[in-house]
Amino acid sequence: MREITFVEAVREALSQEMRQNEDVFMLGEDIGVYGGAFGVSRGMIEEFGKERIRNTPISEAAISGAAVGAALTGMRPIVELQFSDFITIAMDNLVNQAAKIRYMYGGKGSVPMVLRTPAGSGTGAAAQHSQSLEAWVAHVPGLKVVQPSTASDAKGLLKAAIDDNNPVIFYEHKLLYKTSEHVPEEQYSIPLGQADVKRSGKDVSIIATGIMVHRALEAAEELEKEGVEVEVVDPRTLVPLDTETIINSVKKTGRVIIAHEAVKRGGFGGEIASTIVESEAFDFLDAPIKRFGAASVPIPYNPTLEKATVPSADDLSAAAREVVSYAKQEV
Amino acid sequence: MAKEIFMPKLSSTMTEGTLLEWFKEEGEEVETGDPVFEIMTDKINIEVEAYEDGILLKKYYKSDDIIPVNQVVGYIGETGEKVPDTPPLIDDSEGEAAGEAEESDETPRTSASEESGEKEELETSGSPDKVRATPAARAAAREKEIDITTIKGSGPKGRIHAADVTAVPQTAATPLAKRIADDHDVNLQEVKGSGVHQKINKQDVLNVVSSSTEEAQTTEKLKGVRKITAERMSESASAIPHVTMNFSVNMTKIADMKKTLGPTIEEKTGRRLSFNDLFIFITAKALKRHPELNVTFDGETITYHEAVHMGTAVAIDEKLFVPVLPNAEASSLTEVKNNSATLIEKSRSQSLAVEEMQGGTFTISNLGMYAIDSFNPIINQPQGAILGISAIEDKPVVVNGEITVQPVTTCSLSFDHRIINGAPAAAFCTTLKQLIEEPYELFV
Repeated sequence: MREITFVEAVREALSQEMRQNEDVFMLGEDIGVYGGAFGVSRGMIEEFGKERIRNTPISEAAISGAAVGAALTGMRPIVELQFSDFITIAMDNLVNQAAKIRYMYGGKGSVPMVLRTPAGSGTGAAAQHSQSLEAWVAHVPGLKVVQPSTASDAKGLLKAAIDDNNPVIFYEHKLLYKTSEHVPEEQYSIPLGQADVKRSGKDVSIIATGIMVHRALEAAEELEKEGVEVEVVDPRTLVPLDTETIINSVKKTGRVIIAHEAVKRGGFGGEIASTIVESEAFDFLDAPIKRFGAASVPIPYNPTLEKATVPSADDLSAAAREVVSYAKQEV
Repeated sequence: MAKEIFMPKLSSTMTEGTLLEWFKEEGEEVETGDPVFEIMTDKINIEVEAYEDGILLKKYYKSDDIIPVNQVVGYIGETGEKVPDTPPLIDDSEGEAAGEAEESDETPRTSASEESGEKEELETSGSPDKVRATPAARAAAREKEIDITTIKGSGPKGRIHAADVTAVPQTAATPLAKRIADDHDVNLQEVKGSGVHQKINKQDVLNVVSSSTEEAQTTEKLKGVRKITAERMSESASAIPHVTMNFSVNMTKIADMKKTLGPTIEEKTGRRLSFNDLFIFITAKALKRHPELNVTFDGETITYHEAVHMGTAVAIDEKLFVPVLPNAEASSLTEVKNNSATLIEKSRSQSLAVEEMQGGTFTISNLGMYAIDSFNPIINQPQGAILGISAIEDKPVVVNGEITVQPVTTCSLSFDHRIINGAPAAAFCTTLKQLIEEPYELFV
């Protein structure tokens, strides 16, 4: 079976779609000959030409505005932002235009664009190039938010994002780019709003997004040796959110840990926790919900501090140990 | 302004009192002099009266609470007046504290916030009826119909987890069994199921119901008069070396006398003359002739009493009262009748004053109305002796070599052998017997 990296899976999804859909094109900074900041579009300008792999000036406002306009004319633009931190500059186009137009024009116009962007810390890129701001966009009705954690998910979810008639913000974690796994060669789509149970277990659910899915799986591996069965649920898309899968998992285990790399305060984990306690899963909770996110500080440049700022696999396994220690059910 | 009601300090040794009963409800109108609640001290029960007119605004304590003296027990004031949620602490410098409180309108914000902080702390710590349990534990308890307050939590701070509920033995029961259990207040946890997987059926519950009816019992905490009686009885029985002398008394002549005097006494007092009155009258005269029996003893000193203050044991329901008829030796039969009747009525209505139960020098306990042959009465401390009287029965009596049938009773004298010896006690018994059998001697 073929194994490819996350970067390759994203490129494959883009290329396969562009080969069969003339309306799809890419725009972004240095995505042409240079191949993009993380090499995602490497080789694509040779195949698709500079009309469809468009290098832009260094202006996220201009790029996003051009994409919204192109989408309104019926094109299916894919924006690449070099770093997701710069979404702040694209925000007006995303929040006030892309997210609202279809609604305000009664469906007469739509904005079928995708904004792909690398997020997260761990590369020593410091405070302005390491953030995880997905909660910002998840807050805005009209935007869909995707956070794949694996190469194969990324390929299928990107296809679904391109096919979607609404603006989709597609987060790619920098540390995941080099991870590889089996990815089917043919084109496929993973519906937005479908969580994936990455590992099944009965003792405690870890609801994790992006890079945290891998830290949760590490923790699960560790705890398996201690006889604790951890279930790892990856929502994959924050908007729409697959509440059913999350609730069912909690009903099964009764204990919940939520983990994301974004700052815990105001993070999407709070949304997930509230969703659980508001649901019928409430009656199944047998321990307080534990929530993990980054400390409320800018991501430090110092590598040791950078690592310490965000949740680790050890943090998650310690928390899992704690919640199962309360009156562990004898089987 | 609302006025405090305090736990009164009724004697120099009183440090606390037990609240027996409230006579007023919160919100009820109270007039000065109205009894508001009843307390019990180590010596007596007493009703505490209101010193104010107004509305009973607050009751901080309930029955059986033990409350230190001078503690605020409640407030009387006007409708709508604010009173503290918790009783104010006893503070000797109360006047000063009140002064400070009035000034606090102008005190800086910090002290106000400190105050509210304290209050919050009290509130959070003051919810003992809240159970710390996870939602899953609660759901499990609901489903299994287990009262979650009965479960011990194994989690932090005693938090109840689902496993703690699961650990409670399963009590599956048929719907009918549950209904019967509900109707009879049977706790299904305590029923052993005979069905599949120990499922409880109708018969299991009915078995418990019938067995619990057989063993029906009620409990009652001793308080008030009963508690005092219990303490004094055991103290007397264990401290005093009791000796009891039984002697039978021929009642023929005294019965004649009762018949003769009866109408006269009834005419004068409106009350029927009883053997009890005659016993009090005659025993007082006998004691006058044997002053060594009419004594009290405090453990060190014997006090000989000139007058006979005659206690009479009166049973009202489960309570025992011993009202004292003063100067019985100098009382006419009419006076004895009147006074003892009044005391018995007061005992019945439980309105005896403290002083009407004090100062006795000798006690009579008359069980003549029951089928009692003889008994050993327990001495009413600090008195030196007590006379028990049993039922009058027709018995064969030898008179001049002939067996005749005559009314006879048994008197039982218990005395404190520390201070009274057998010979004088026996001499007293003999005198008493003679006086009853030959009442004309009373005139000698």
